[in-house]
Amino acid sequence: MDLNNEVLENPIATNIEPMIKLTFTVNEEQYEIQTSPTEKLIHILREQLNLAGTKISCGIGRCGACSVLLDGELVNACLVMAYQVNGKSITTIEGIGGVTFDEVQEAFLTEGGFQCGYCTSGMIIAVKYLLALNPTPTETDIKEALAGNLCRCTGYGGIIRSVQSLSAKNGGI
Amino acid sequence: MKSNIQVDKDRVRPDGVSKVTGSLKYLTDLTFPNMLYGKILRSSHPHAKILSIQTEEAENLPGVEAVLTYKDVPGMNRFGMIIPDQPVLCEERARYVGDAVAAIAATSIEIAEKALKLIQVEYEVLPIIDTPEKALLSNAIKLHPAGNICHRSSYSNGNITAAFEACEAIVEETYELPRQLHGYMETEGGVVVPQEDGGIYVYAATQHGFKDRFQLSRILGMPETMIRIISSPIGGSFGGKDELNIQPYAALLALKTNCPVKIHNTRAESIRASLKRHPMKITAKTGTDSTGKILAHQVKIIADKGAYATLGPAVLDFAVEHAAGPYIIPNIETEGISVYTNNGVTGEFRGFGGNQITFALEGQLDRLANVLDMDPIALRRMNLRKATDLGPLGHRIAPTDSAALVLNEIQKLSESSDHQQTASKWKRFGSGIAIAMHGGGLGFGRLDSAGGRLSLNKEGKIEISFGFEECGQGLLSVIENLVIEEVGCSPQDIKIVIGDTSVVPVSGSSTASRGTSIVWQSLQKMKEPFKKKIVEHVSSVLSIPHENLYLGDNGIWEIGKDNGPCMTYKECAEGLQDGTVITSFHFPVTPDAVNGGHFLYSFGGVKVNVEVDILSGKVKVISINHVISAGPVVSPNGFRGQIEGGGVMSLGYTMMEEVKMLKSQYVTHNFDSYLMPNIVDVPFDTNVYAIEDLYEGDNYGPRGVGEIGTIAITPAIVKAIHDAIGCWVTKLPISSEEILEKVESRGMLPWI
Ligand code: FES
Ligand code: FES
Repeated sequence: MDLNNEVLENPIATNIEPMIKLTFTVNEEQYEIQTSPTEKLIHILREQLNLAGTKISCGIGRCGACSVLLDGELVNACLVMAYQVNGKSITTIEGIGGVTFDEVQEAFLTEGGFQCGYCTSGMIIAVKYLLALNPTPTETDIKEALAGNLCRCTGYGGIIRSVQSLSAKNGGI
Repeated sequence: MKSNIQVDKDRVRPDGVSKVTGSLKYLTDLTFPNMLYGKILRSSHPHAKILSIQTEEAENLPGVEAVLTYKDVPGMNRFGMIIPDQPVLCEERARYVGDAVAAIAATSIEIAEKALKLIQVEYEVLPIIDTPEKALLSNAIKLHPAGNICHRSSYSNGNITAAFEACEAIVEETYELPRQLHGYMETEGGVVVPQEDGGIYVYAATQHGFKDRFQLSRILGMPETMIRIISSPIGGSFGGKDELNIQPYAALLALKTNCPVKIHNTRAESIRASLKRHPMKITAKTGTDSTGKILAHQVKIIADKGAYATLGPAVLDFAVEHAAGPYIIPNIETEGISVYTNNGVTGEFRGFGGNQITFALEGQLDRLANVLDMDPIALRRMNLRKATDLGPLGHRIAPTDSAALVLNEIQKLSESSDHQQTASKWKRFGSGIAIAMHGGGLGFGRLDSAGGRLSLNKEGKIEISFGFEECGQGLLSVIENLVIEEVGCSPQDIKIVIGDTSVVPVSGSSTASRGTSIVWQSLQKMKEPFKKKIVEHVSSVLSIPHENLYLGDNGIWEIGKDNGPCMTYKECAEGLQDGTVITSFHFPVTPDAVNGGHFLYSFGGVKVNVEVDILSGKVKVISINHVISAGPVVSPNGFRGQIEGGGVMSLGYTMMEEVKMLKSQYVTHNFDSYLMPNIVDVPFDTNVYAIEDLYEGDNYGPRGVGEIGTIAITPAIVKAIHDAIGCWVTKLPISSEEILEKVESRGMLPWI
């Protein structure tokens, strides 16, 4: 009820919150945008910057579809608010690999690490993060690192084989 | 075993690169200039009369461009694939919490959400029906004019009363199965774009573009020719996006505002409105003679339909058909009833009723083996269908000895040495097996049109086109591999066109494990006439005898000259008048008039190992071995992925997944309370073995494997638990509480 009244008195609903100026880097490109301080990073990426490679599925931090790197740390973009990214640097799936594929992308391609592909951007980011910390992950390491990324299609088999092949390449078992 | 059709092991899926780089645009990723955002107001109550709907305040909110109610539906205000009984926008009554009452288009999601709150709907709450049993009471309030029974289906043969009298061993059990969420990672959504001619383009995931077009045409009162459906790529479906979801709302809003309108459900919106797997209660009574020969099998199925029909009647028919599975049972009586309630709508879901019924069937066999003190595999073998036996409804089917082949492989697996067991006083280990038979295609009495188109297009590409959609299952890979195999060209020569009603031929829906079959069968019909057209053209232009020409990499080659094609496809396309071949046919169907009876079946078996912690009641699946018989493997990664993914989806169904409803309201709204398997829940020890031989003379080719990997998992896990702790589970998902209770009641803990 209160909310309704407030909306009526402030008819431009999006103006209820003040806007902030946000400066940050995405995939090494500098951006400056106006947004509400509590706008979610996922919406900034997908709707404002048109970087739709990062997906949204649960919106509450439970599926990992929106995984990105924030100053090198793995985060769920649906839980990160605009004010938290000010001055920071973000890597999304669009920033992985260049002219040639990244080795994680390559492994996903050959081992069948995806099907519908909707979890894949987030999954690849999470695997990148894992390998950056630990180039030879074991079964337990893989489980720990990817427990926050849901995939409904693959049953994880192809994903597991992708990571294991990379681990083996790096001298792991 | 035959080798895989895909010779080049490293060939990656055609949609692979765009998926791993994130560059693929799903239909929910699209944006258009002047695009508006749509939101749908859904009923506050699971059952209520709608007395009035006030939309003025919402309309007056700046940024709101349209607010629609049932009054704004120009055509038929109903949809539903079999029985159109679901209102697009409710008139005077809401029957579940997903029922749409109004739809809004606004310049931003936030404004649309705010506007939703400004719509005032006056409800008169009606008593709810939250179980099928309550719906069947004689004084139950009627949810639909014809009452609360959506569909009945039955099959009987022989005389079960007499047969039960002759039985030495009889077991009877009731199996309870939950409401499962498809859990596709991409929630429903898309954009509808109005066109200058008054028509629309619908960019939204569906498994059957033509069916959407047909239904939308009725709703919008618009000829089908003015509606174009673009339906791929899809971020997962599993049956869940076969029925209309957001399409009617986005379409109505787009037409009203003359702007593109995007709707992309949040997960909570998705759970509220989407289809689910049917909860079923199945009571089975089964009896054998003293040797284990099954004499009688009586099955009663009651399915919770939720508020509307969608594909529910067909799902029930499928469950009834598969009640005897791959066994020959002389006396059988199966009765199914699908009942409307105020719960969430249930519909098509991978396995299509086969999962539920197979849990009951295989559960009965395991119980009988136990009572008879027989080896469960021996008991199965004794009752197994033979290659030329009739199908489960007493109808003729394509001869197949796959049931026996699968069981043999499963036997070998169970004899082989088992998983290392960690020594712990509190852990118990067990293994279980189960097998399944699963019909492909829609079944007898259903229009199941198939077909495809093969052409050499103007750019010199071999263009292959089907009406299917790529839902993630790997259909593009199947098409590519089969074209390479059957036509002889290379991947670079192929252009695949699917998922767009304006350019594809009718080939039915991406459902019922039918896609692979149809691609293969279509190519058998199209490849020779296609090659002939091309070769004859080249032959006449270059004066080379046509028997010396063949299609290869980059063009048409002459036998014995391997330094390059004598004419490239590009050159050929320039001179060729008509390089198109089209086929259309009906999916192979049994000649016997049995409702829904299938003709082509695939077979699968699994062996699982589990670990039961008798202190916590926790069950862990530690290995899964699948044996699948579905003909030649077309795409190895895709095949394995479908089976493994399907297996894990069923592992979730068995162990953890349930969309809970309390008084017909969802208790579960998102992935915090709906738990699907994550990587920790799945065994790294998973293997898939393919039996690729088809029965002698079988010329129906490879079968689709979208469903077969899901069916036998549940009974195998339940049997493995029995093996570990000696108790039967009858209700899914398996709860630790139930396991603990059983452990305690058996005195397995020393202090009890
Ligand atoms: S969408 Fe961010 S974790 Fe699910
Ligand atoms: S590939 Fe579809 S959700 Fe992972």
